[in-house]
Amino acid sequence: MDFANTPSFFRSGPKPGTRLFLCALASIALLVGDSRYGLMEQARDGMSLVLYPLQRVVNMPLGMVRHFGDYFTAQADLKNENDQLRTRQLEMSARLARLETVERELNELRQLNSIKATRTDAPQLAETLYTGRDPFSYKIIIDKGADANLQPGQPVVDAHGLLGQITRVQPLTAEVTLIIDKNQMVPVMIARTGERAILYGYGGGVEIRYLPLHADVREGDSIVTSGIDGLYQEGTPVARVSKVERNAGAAFSRITTEPLAGVQQTRYVLVLQQKGQTPPRPAEPVVPVKKTKGKKPADSE
Amino acid sequence: MSFDRPKELLKPVKRRFIFMTFLLAVLVEMVPLPHGSTRWLPDFISLVLLYWVINQPRRVNVGLAFLMGLVADIATAGMLGQHALAYSVTAYLALSRQRQLIMFNLGQQALSVLALMLCNQSIMVVARMLTGAAFVGWSYFLPPLIGALLWPLLTKLLLLPYRHHSV
Repeated sequence: MDFANTPSFFRSGPKPGTRLFLCALASIALLVGDSRYGLMEQARDGMSLVLYPLQRVVNMPLGMVRHFGDYFTAQADLKNENDQLRTRQLEMSARLARLETVERELNELRQLNSIKATRTDAPQLAETLYTGRDPFSYKIIIDKGADANLQPGQPVVDAHGLLGQITRVQPLTAEVTLIIDKNQMVPVMIARTGERAILYGYGGGVEIRYLPLHADVREGDSIVTSGIDGLYQEGTPVARVSKVERNAGAAFSRITTEPLAGVQQTRYVLVLQQKGQTPPRPAEPVVPVKKTKGKKPADSE
Repeated sequence: MSFDRPKELLKPVKRRFIFMTFLLAVLVEMVPLPHGSTRWLPDFISLVLLYWVINQPRRVNVGLAFLMGLVADIATAGMLGQHALAYSVTAYLALSRQRQLIMFNLGQQALSVLALMLCNQSIMVVARMLTGAAFVGWSYFLPPLIGALLWPLLTKLLLLPYRHHSV
């Protein structure tokens, strides 16, 4: 194993210390540039394009294994699943028929009252390429990007509920920040009461903060998007309240929630269109007295 | 000390082989593994990097560590520069003690690798926390332990093509 232990007569290149200094300087510059100013988008796009074939290659054997698995499923299983799906489809189509009538009615009413009709754009199906193995960032990479006209800010859902939001679009892939990521906020309401709140991700989970003690929240309440941010369509299920703690000493009740969507298990996801353009907010009157700390907008990076 | 180890004559290492091992490590990094496995799977890029830094210090040094760090940053969708910084510092530390590390037997080497990888993880934690992420819990320091346990196996594997009687 000591085949490298030959005496070195010649030193090649700069000393390791110098190299370390240069490299550390470069990486700190990159860190600051990336986290504070977002300068590295171009470079990242390029690199992701280079890595894309690698991702495909790596995914191939897995796909093949899955394919063979599909091939060798028992007929009973297939039959079973088929029956299940058939019943489900029947249920769904009944619901859909009702929904369509209701939607038409709603649009007519909206037209009567001259409110802009909601857009109905087809969602795009995408496949999860891989989840970043970095435990700090709750992000997944999907296999559609600028080639499918995705845009940062589009909501992403799976069969159960809201998954997250597209935050970065690369030529062939896109990065979805999950709702459980730190700094990710979703404007929501409690489906039962319509009370509005903001759902905060804290890195590994979601919670509702700043809801007063007297707010009507119960365990098992489902939480849906409120749609007032002009980003998420209203009514997408997001989470379920799992615990409500009312501490008399605190100003707000402590509400723990669980995300509905298989936030880190899903394979296929749907990318929805953003809600239509909302007119800009009327300008706020200038308050000359003191600096107010503005709340961050919901579409944080 | 470990002078009892048989000193074999090995074939010279090809540049192509080094490249291949790095490519393999990056590929492993990108395999979509079931959720939860990333909690304990070691960082293969840094393991391979440490192996080459210890065994081929003239060819693999801080500069290459930096480059591999950039690749790891992109592959893991992390913050750009986080892995790069950690790998460069770790590679430097390994390089500065390379003469000692090479004399150690596999167990001692595994221990030093454990220390180096822990240092690696700590740098990344500090970098992420300074740029505003929450602490992820102590389980973040589990992968280095597994990595150190895998070290002897990795060494044997990477030596395999260079034994004279192997082909």
